[in-house]
Amino acid sequence: MNMLKSWRYPMSWPVFRFDDRLLLIFIATIVGICSGLAAVVLNRSLIAILDYLRPFRNFWWAFILPAVGAALSSFFLDKIVKEGAGHGVPEVIYSVSRYGGLLRMRSSFSRLISSCLTIGSGGSAGPEAPVVMSGASIGSNIAKFFALNDRQRVTLVGCGAAGAISSIFNAPIAGMVFSLEVILGEWSALNIIPIAIASVTGTEISRLLQGNQIPFSHRQFNIDLISILSCLGLAFFCAGASILLTRMLSTTNQISNRVALPVWFRAAIGGCAVGIIGLFLPVVLGEGYHSIRTMIEGTFSQGIAIAALAFLAKTVATSLTLGWGGSGGIFAPCLVIGSLSGLVYHRFLVLLWPFVSWVDEGCYALVGMAGLISGMLQAPLTGIFLIVEITGSYEVIVPLIIVSAISTSLCHYIEPDSFYLKDLVSKGHLLRLGTDARVLKDLSVLELLEKDCITVKQSLLLRDFINIVKKSHRNYFPVEDEETGNFLGMIHLDVIRQYLFNPGMYDAVFLGQIMDTMVEIVNPDDDLSEVLRRMDTKGLYSMPVVANNKFIGMVSKATLLDQYRKELMVQTSR
Amino acid sequence: MITMELKIDEVARCLDIPVNTVERWIRQGRIPIHKRGNDCIFKESILKKWASTHNLLFSLGDEDTKKHQELPLENLLPVMQRGGVFYNVTGDDVTTALKSAVDCIFSLSLNTKEELCQRLVERENLTSTGIGKGVAIPHPRIPLLEVEKNPLIITCFLEKPVNFKAVDDNPVFVMFILLSASVKFHLHLLSRLSFCVRDDGFVDFLRTSPDSTEFFSRIAHFEKQLDKAETII
Repeated sequence: MNMLKSWRYPMSWPVFRFDDRLLLIFIATIVGICSGLAAVVLNRSLIAILDYLRPFRNFWWAFILPAVGAALSSFFLDKIVKEGAGHGVPEVIYSVSRYGGLLRMRSSFSRLISSCLTIGSGGSAGPEAPVVMSGASIGSNIAKFFALNDRQRVTLVGCGAAGAISSIFNAPIAGMVFSLEVILGEWSALNIIPIAIASVTGTEISRLLQGNQIPFSHRQFNIDLISILSCLGLAFFCAGASILLTRMLSTTNQISNRVALPVWFRAAIGGCAVGIIGLFLPVVLGEGYHSIRTMIEGTFSQGIAIAALAFLAKTVATSLTLGWGGSGGIFAPCLVIGSLSGLVYHRFLVLLWPFVSWVDEGCYALVGMAGLISGMLQAPLTGIFLIVEITGSYEVIVPLIIVSAISTSLCHYIEPDSFYLKDLVSKGHLLRLGTDARVLKDLSVLELLEKDCITVKQSLLLRDFINIVKKSHRNYFPVEDEETGNFLGMIHLDVIRQYLFNPGMYDAVFLGQIMDTMVEIVNPDDDLSEVLRRMDTKGLYSMPVVANNKFIGMVSKATLLDQYRKELMVQTSR
Repeated sequence: MITMELKIDEVARCLDIPVNTVERWIRQGRIPIHKRGNDCIFKESILKKWASTHNLLFSLGDEDTKKHQELPLENLLPVMQRGGVFYNVTGDDVTTALKSAVDCIFSLSLNTKEELCQRLVERENLTSTGIGKGVAIPHPRIPLLEVEKNPLIITCFLEKPVNFKAVDDNPVFVMFILLSASVKFHLHLLSRLSFCVRDDGFVDFLRTSPDSTEFFSRIAHFEKQLDKAETII
């Protein structure tokens, strides 16, 4: 009976009571199943929409389709579920770093629907980021349902993301690594195991429902030394492409924000532009997995000029889709652009040195994908493992590592923050555990409050004040109004010390005359980093905290250091 | 292992951190405490281990708080009553007067008396404790171990005034030997005593070598004044 009552509070079950590792593994399995299912649903509905719309693609007005899709998706997000545009990964990272992974329930399906509309109608975007958002939200809400704490919830958000990526790519390691490297940014034994379990569960769900296929299988490549060396050039090429795509995305987004039109109309304009490009180069439409397959299999027949054009067109189309308000992820476009850049690079090499026997162009396409993923996300491990798993080609691991590593470092050099983190960092929203910003954000003014100050009335004579000074441990005395109790000012012992020894002054002044009314005050909900900055600029060591005109305590650097250190120790060591 | 239940503010006190912080840590899952309503449920050994790996102090505090509790400051009257009042204490100079005064203290052992005497003379050699108006307050420079808990003030009316090299060169007719456990006690008693002696009427009263009951009632009167002054805010 008791067990039945407390089924929603698994923390109180005897098995899980004081070691939550088992509990997390147990719930991670549930999260893995749910997010795996979400990924399968998205995949299936995308295929269904694409099939349904295929007959219409041949009409001259087909360029309208992406516009309608993007407008609908933007309208849905903005007006119906009231969520921000975009793919959602930054929101997940922000929630993990600031709100302990708290996500809204509706996020678990909103991006699925909107990205379905955008991509199904032909917009150039990927289904992965939306499914990450949805998986993360599922994890978060399951954690909320079971009344788990923030740390456990964050782990489950990671589990959701991992399960989703694993399921949609049929790639358990990539899901796990993506979740740890990009979403959580923290590798600890407590996280890794539940996330691994969720990845495996997610993968298994997708295998049960859709069969176990490697998305981009191909024949074996024979890689010789010269090809490996040539990959160095490809790394630079990929880094360039990543930077180009990142810059294009933010530029188009800025332009779109300057246009004074409704959000859905902007999305329609972007979609329309993509549709027009798609009329001439159908490769840019949709998530583009079909074209990746042809490239890896080496059946992409057009020459270098068309390939280069397609590369640029895909970049522009992706920027237009995502920058102008369509909904979808960057993963799939990255893979397409990456394979196109691999292809272009290969054709270029063949053009320069036709007599060298280069390895098959499919290999370059494959390595290019890793280069772009690593460059865009600045997550080399995700790039390496994802490509190895979705292509089933362990033999290209060496060029993969080389290209991923170089591409990541170059991109990091030029764009210090990855595509996902850029906005967060610029707003100061990225707060990884154990960093100064995070510690200061977690501590609140109320936790640092020192309450041992003696409050004095403003009409008190200096003579009587001396008796109070005798008893006080502090150098600061807040002065308040006797009727309203409102805070009026501060008396600092350093300022009035000389008068304390002058008996002539004792009955001559009252405290209202000698207090400092121009004191810097702190509100209880002020940001601590801001409080500290004010202390530093004004050269203060402590400040009074005032709420609703009432003095409630002091906040000082000494107590801050004490609490800061405790917080840092608790956050960093496990 | 024992499971413990404590209120959240008790946990905060045991860890010496604010209640808000404990609440946040529990919410964020940084501390191995499980919360049910307002109660914190945890295993003592696990929490102790957690605290030590994070360099935090954790004590349930029953035994410790008693040790750290400070003794309340005693006022003049009980200290003086404990020390006693002695009349016609002999002596021709500082050393002999102090020696015969120390001999009167019955609560000390012989060895301690010798040591105390030596220390009092040492202190006199540094600067005279004669504070004027014929009053001296001899005391050792370093607190005496034997009087650790209970400070003493021994009031000695001298048989004949002795030259103490006091600040105003007046010969001393009364000594208050002040023995205290700590500097804090010492200052507290000294400041109260000097408040009494500042009153000329009281000094004149002392010159009459008054009866101990009358003497104590005067002291009690002074103390009342002092307490009143302190409570006025």
